[in-house]
Amino acid sequence: MTKWAMVIDLDKCTGCQACSTACAMENNRLPGENWQDVLFYTEGSYPNAQLKWFPRPCFHCEQPSCVAVCPTGATYKDPNGGFVLIDWDKCIGCKYCMIACPYGVRFYTDEKPLLEPDIRQVFPGGAKRQWNPPYRAPDARDDRAHGIGIQPPGVVSKCTFCYHKVSKAPAGTPDLDESDPALVEFVPACVRTCAPKARFFGDLDHPASQVNKLIANQRGVRLKDETGNKPQVYYLSGGAGAAVPSSRETVTKAG
Amino acid sequence: MAARSFQLRDPVNAVLAASVLGLLVSLGAGGYALLTSGQAAFNTRSDGIIWGLPIVTYDYFVLTSTGLALLACLPYVLGWRDFHPLARRCLWSALATLVAGAAALMLELGHPIRALYAIPFNLQYRSPMFWKVLFIGAYVLLLLTLLPLGNDARSERKGRAAAIALLVVLLGVIIAAGTLFGMMAMRPFWFGGMVPLLFLVESMLGGLAFAIVITFLAQGFDAARLPQPVHRWLVGPMPRGFAALIGLLLVMSATRALTGAWSHADGLQVWRVLLSSPLFYLELGPGLVLPLLLMLTRLRSRPAIQLCSALLVLLALFIGRYEFVIGGQMVPLFKGSWVPGFIDYLPSFAEWMLTLLSLSIAFGAWAAGEKCFDFARTGVAHG
Repeated sequence: MTKWAMVIDLDKCTGCQACSTACAMENNRLPGENWQDVLFYTEGSYPNAQLKWFPRPCFHCEQPSCVAVCPTGATYKDPNGGFVLIDWDKCIGCKYCMIACPYGVRFYTDEKPLLEPDIRQVFPGGAKRQWNPPYRAPDARDDRAHGIGIQPPGVVSKCTFCYHKVSKAPAGTPDLDESDPALVEFVPACVRTCAPKARFFGDLDHPASQVNKLIANQRGVRLKDETGNKPQVYYLSGGAGAAVPSSRETVTKAG
Repeated sequence: MAARSFQLRDPVNAVLAASVLGLLVSLGAGGYALLTSGQAAFNTRSDGIIWGLPIVTYDYFVLTSTGLALLACLPYVLGWRDFHPLARRCLWSALATLVAGAAALMLELGHPIRALYAIPFNLQYRSPMFWKVLFIGAYVLLLLTLLPLGNDARSERKGRAAAIALLVVLLGVIIAAGTLFGMMAMRPFWFGGMVPLLFLVESMLGGLAFAIVITFLAQGFDAARLPQPVHRWLVGPMPRGFAALIGLLLVMSATRALTGAWSHADGLQVWRVLLSSPLFYLELGPGLVLPLLLMLTRLRSRPAIQLCSALLVLLALFIGRYEFVIGGQMVPLFKGSWVPGFIDYLPSFAEWMLTLLSLSIAFGAWAAGEKCFDFARTGVAHG
């Protein structure tokens, strides 16, 4: 079985947020609904203050707690590829999955807008989609059962690993490399746009995949592995640049 | 049907009138906010507090409801016929508070109608929410079975069987409600096997406090109008049991706060915020310690003291529920500099209106029940 995974080399990531922008454009996200985000942290204090950053998509965990808590089965683990997806026709908007996700990667956009004017008012939608911008993806790409497109009101949304692209990749492909013209259309938007080539996308279950080699040779780590969720996103860090945060928030008891 | 003229001096009438007013205000103002802004009228956010005051309200009333039903089961199971009127009043109030909680939840959910069929029929047995809904469904059915029962022998046999089943189902509801939070290992403030026990104690205490309030309101603060066994219970074992439950909750709350404040575990730093909030001390001091002290003195048998203590406990339980639900979400999950410190949250006007709506439903439905049914004689079908 294919188990798609992403490897992010933190030594190469420049924190440019092109990934976030590409994701928002590809998937028509609202301001603040950052399926793919780059988190910035300040650590330490003058004269030893540091600015750090950390790219964070959904981790499409092997043991996703969001799937376990969903009372309707709207959030599910796709056996073909290991995507964690949301069926918007089953979601009741209880937000338990948002509570249970240790990484805070889910969004419920029936809330106050991050920016004014509220783009949902500028391009009002309806029962089918929450807002309806003229530049959105074509209707044919909408796939509510996999959480693709602009979501209807009252449901949770999240990164799909660009399911609409990746799921169409030829079977048995070990890696989706944007530099391969035959595969470029199947590559997730954030991977494809990454200028310093800090992102790699491939099949964890394929022994010859580059992602497997990178994880093995460069000691790939998963965020908050102690939660047992087993993310399918791995980070490489030689310590030269950004590092995997040890805690999830900036305020700790130590100050 | 019990005939009563409508005079506001009668506490039941006063509560009914206040509840109708509360319903009108909350439906008008809250409904307007929800209709014009949708759930943007709430102060909940994807990068902030996800479950806000409506969930606090929902959980509070559900636990009060289960507590009332637990209390109501005892006379049926143990065959205390003199307590059947009290039990019927508690059962009716259990239904009222359950509806009150459900109202807040339904207005908070993205797709409330879909939830009614999608949760039971998708059989997501790994989700505590599925089990909670399942148990609540059985709870409602058993409540509706018990409520119409009268005083005859056949009803008594049927009532005993239904009450025993109800006890089991109630434990299911409370444990599911507790595990819904207690299983969240990613939120250490909530995580732990003791949470369902905490919920059980809170439920029993909330049910008893609510029962005290409605008993005195129904009797017009005149304990002499109560049947002798109920009166003896109110001045004898009840205050001691009430004190024991308050003491138990105090110990559980204090040890939770102590261990949380001591620990450096990631996520527990929220105790620093909670312990610096006056709400925490309001909950513990006037909310729990004062009623406990009152119940330990000779004043405990006075109706006014019991009523005040019960009201204080109900307030403390609401504050506790608020701190529990909101506190578990105050430490941001990987939001970086988007959320640099603890998450700030103040419920919006629309959220308070939902709480007022639930409160009005709970007390309004109870008062309407007092007007429509004769709990002293028979069940609701024969009122």
